[in-house]
Amino acid sequence: MITNPTKFSPVSINLSGKNILIIDDYQEMRTILRDMLRALGADVKKMHMVATGEDAIAILKKVEFDVVLCDLVLGTGKSGQQVLEEAKYLSLVGPSCLWIMISAEKAAESVSGTAEYQPDAYLIKPVTEVSLCTRLEKIWLKKKAFAEIHQAIKRSDYSEALNLCDQRLASDKTNMSDLLRTKCNLLWITGELDRAQDLLKDILSKRELPWAKVALARIFFKKNDFKLVKTLLEETIAVNATYIETHDLLAQTLQVMDDLAGAGDVLERAVKLSPNSAMRQQTLGSLSLKIGKLENAERAFRKSIALSENSVLKKADTYLGLVKVCSARNNSDEAMKVLGQLTKNFNGDDVRLRVLAATGLVHHQRGEAEKAAQLAIELDQSLSKKDERSLTSEESLEIAHLLLVAGDKEKAICLLQSEIKNNPESPMLHKVVADIFEQAGMREEGNRLIEATRQEAILMMNRGVLLVSKGQYEEAVCAMREARAAMPTNVRVLLNLAHVFIAYIQKKGSVPGLIDEARNSLLAANELSPGEPRFKRLMTTLNELV
Amino acid sequence: MGISENHNPTTGHSSVEPNLVNFLISSVHDTKNSLCMLLSSLDKTLTNTDVEKLSTHTELVRVNEEARRINNHLAQLLTLYKLGQRIYPFDAQYICLSDFLSGIAAQYSELLRFRKITLETHVSPELHWYFDEDLINAVIGNAINNAIRYTRDRICIFAEEKENLLLLRVEDNGCGYPAAMLRNNNDFMYRIDPLSDNTGLGFYFSTMVVRMHQNRGDCGKLALENGGFMNGACFVVSLP
Repeated sequence: MITNPTKFSPVSINLSGKNILIIDDYQEMRTILRDMLRALGADVKKMHMVATGEDAIAILKKVEFDVVLCDLVLGTGKSGQQVLEEAKYLSLVGPSCLWIMISAEKAAESVSGTAEYQPDAYLIKPVTEVSLCTRLEKIWLKKKAFAEIHQAIKRSDYSEALNLCDQRLASDKTNMSDLLRTKCNLLWITGELDRAQDLLKDILSKRELPWAKVALARIFFKKNDFKLVKTLLEETIAVNATYIETHDLLAQTLQVMDDLAGAGDVLERAVKLSPNSAMRQQTLGSLSLKIGKLENAERAFRKSIALSENSVLKKADTYLGLVKVCSARNNSDEAMKVLGQLTKNFNGDDVRLRVLAATGLVHHQRGEAEKAAQLAIELDQSLSKKDERSLTSEESLEIAHLLLVAGDKEKAICLLQSEIKNNPESPMLHKVVADIFEQAGMREEGNRLIEATRQEAILMMNRGVLLVSKGQYEEAVCAMREARAAMPTNVRVLLNLAHVFIAYIQKKGSVPGLIDEARNSLLAANELSPGEPRFKRLMTTLNELV
Repeated sequence: MGISENHNPTTGHSSVEPNLVNFLISSVHDTKNSLCMLLSSLDKTLTNTDVEKLSTHTELVRVNEEARRINNHLAQLLTLYKLGQRIYPFDAQYICLSDFLSGIAAQYSELLRFRKITLETHVSPELHWYFDEDLINAVIGNAINNAIRYTRDRICIFAEEKENLLLLRVEDNGCGYPAAMLRNNNDFMYRIDPLSDNTGLGFYFSTMVVRMHQNRGDCGKLALENGGFMNGACFVVSLP
C-alpha cells in the first residue's frame, strides 16, 4: 500500500455538537488546544476551558462531556490524575466519554496505575493537530469495539462478556491484545483459574508481556504457591522493571512469606519508579512501621497524605499510620496534631471510633492513664450504640487495642477473638493480634487465646461438612447457621454453608428460603474474597437446583 | 526536581554546591516545556493559509523545523537519562503498523511538502507488532530527519514481518551513508564525537531503544546499509 502523506485526511469521528472540556493551567495552552479542536470540527460554543482541578470538578458536575483534554500537572491543588479519579469515582463521566491526559513526557502512570482510574490515552507534548486527531480517532474506535463487552460486564453478565470477547478475537486483530487481557480478567473474576492459567501460558509462549506474567503470578498466589510467584515476578522485573504492579504483588508475596524487609526493599524501588501513588506510599508506610524503620515509615505516610490531600480517595488509615509512627518515635504532640488533621479532613462520624481509639492510645503511651481510661469509656459507650458486626477489621483491632490497655479487657478480648474466628487461616492477622496482646503485657495469655480460638473456629468451620458426610443433614444445616452467626466474614464458613445446603437440598429436596440463604452466603464470600474457585462451582450447582 | 546536597566521599565534607546533574536535568525539562509552547504557537501560525504569502514564510518554516529538532534532541536526552537510571516507563503495545506509519507520515507532511520530498509507506494493513510506540516513533523520526537532509526527492518506509522479526526500513534516493559509517556498523554506541557535525546522539539513542526491545531471549537490532529499493541510504530496524 502506498500512502501519500499530503493527503492525510483526519477524523472519522465527528466533533461537531460534542461537549468538550479543556483543563490546563496555562492560558496559552488552553487557547492552542481550543483552536486545534476547532480546526478538527468542534464547536467553540460547546467547549469549556478551566485552569484548575477544582473548577474542572465544578463544571464536570454540571455538564456531561464527550471529550476531556486534561494536563497531568495543574500547578497547586488537584492534579490531573486526581481530577480523573474524582470524576470517575463520583460518576461525573460516563463510559462513552473520551479522556485524554496530556503530559510533558511519558508518565510512569501510563504503564500501570489502577485500571479503573486510567484515562483512555496519554498524549506527550508538543500536542499537534495531527497527534491529537490520530489519538482521538484511535480511542474512539476502541471504545466502539469494547462497548458491548463493557455493558455486559456492567450487568455482571460475565459469560456473555466472555462470549463477546471470543467473537471479537476471531476477527479483530487491532484490539487482540486488549481483548485477551479482558478475557483473562473475566476468567479471574468468575474464578475459572485453570482456564485463565492455560490462556496466559499460551499468550506467554509467544510474547513475554509483563501484564500476563503478573496475571499468572496472581493465579499462583491464589493457589498459595508463593515460591513460584516470587520467581515469576523477579524474572519479570529483571527484564522490565517499569511495570509497577509487579513490585506491588512481589511485596505482597514476600510479606506472606514473612520476608518483611525484602518486601520493604521492593516497595522502596517501586516508589522510586512511580512516586505518585498514595496507595503504594501508604503500603510502604505500614510495612516500614512493622519492621521498625520509623523514618522511612514517616516519610512514606507523609508523602501519601500530601498526594491524597485533594483527592476523594484519601484514607483515614494513612493518617492513623502516621499517628502510630509519631507515637513510636515518642513524638506524641505531633501524633495529636495529625489526629486533629484527620478529624478535620474526614466526616466526623465515619472516623469517630478510630480517632477515639488512637487518641486514647497516645495518652496511654504518654503515661496519662486517667485520660486513656476516660477515652476508653467514651469509646465503649459509642460502641454499644453500634452494631459490632458493622465494624471493619481495622476498626475492631484499634478499638480492642485501647480497651485492652485502658478499659474493658473482656470486651477487648471478645473483639480480638471474633477477628481471629473470621480469619482463622491468616497468619498475618494472628501476628497483629499477638502484637496487641504483647503491648498490653499479655504475651503468653494472648498466644494461648489465639491458638485456642483458631482451633475452635476450624472445628466450627468444618463441623457442618463432617455432619453431612455422616448423613446428619438437619444437624449440618444448623451447625453452618451457627458458624455463620459466629463468624460472619469467614470466607470458608460462607462457602461451606452453601456446600452443606446444596447437599441437603440434593438429598432431602428444597425447603423455602434455603436456596436464597445459600446464594446470599456465596455472594458475601465473593465480595470478601473475589475469584475463589469454589465460588463459581458452588454457584453453578446451586443455579442448577433452582 | 529538587537540588540535593553534594557529598564528597573522598574528603567526607558535605558541600552546599548544587548537584549539577539535577540542575542539568531540571533545566532540560524546563527548556523543553518552553519549546513545546513555542512549537504550538508556531504550528498555529503556520496552519493559517495566509502565512504562505508572507515574505518570511521560508524563515518561519526553518525556525519551526529547528525548534522541532531541538525538542527531539532534548526529549531523547531525557529518555536516555531515564533509561540509564532504569526508570523509563517502557511499554510495549500491540500496534497496527499501517496506522503507526501513517501517523508518522502525517507528522512530517508539512515539512516534506515544503522540501518537495515525497514519502511513501509500504505496509500491509494486517501487520501488527509489539513495541513501545513512543520510542519507535522517535527512532523512525530520527531516520526520516536524516533522510530529509540527504535524499534527492524521495523517501520510502517499508514494514514487513520476516522470520519472526518486524523489519522497518527507511530508504532514500540520496548518495547513501559514507563508507566510514558502514564499516563499524555495530558501534554507534561509541561514536559520539562532540566535535563533528553529527553528534551521534540520534544513532546512539536509536541503538539503545532498539536493543531494549526483547522477546524470549532475542533483542532488537539497528543496521545501516547502502542500496535498497532506490540505491540510497537504508536505515534498518529489526524487532523481535
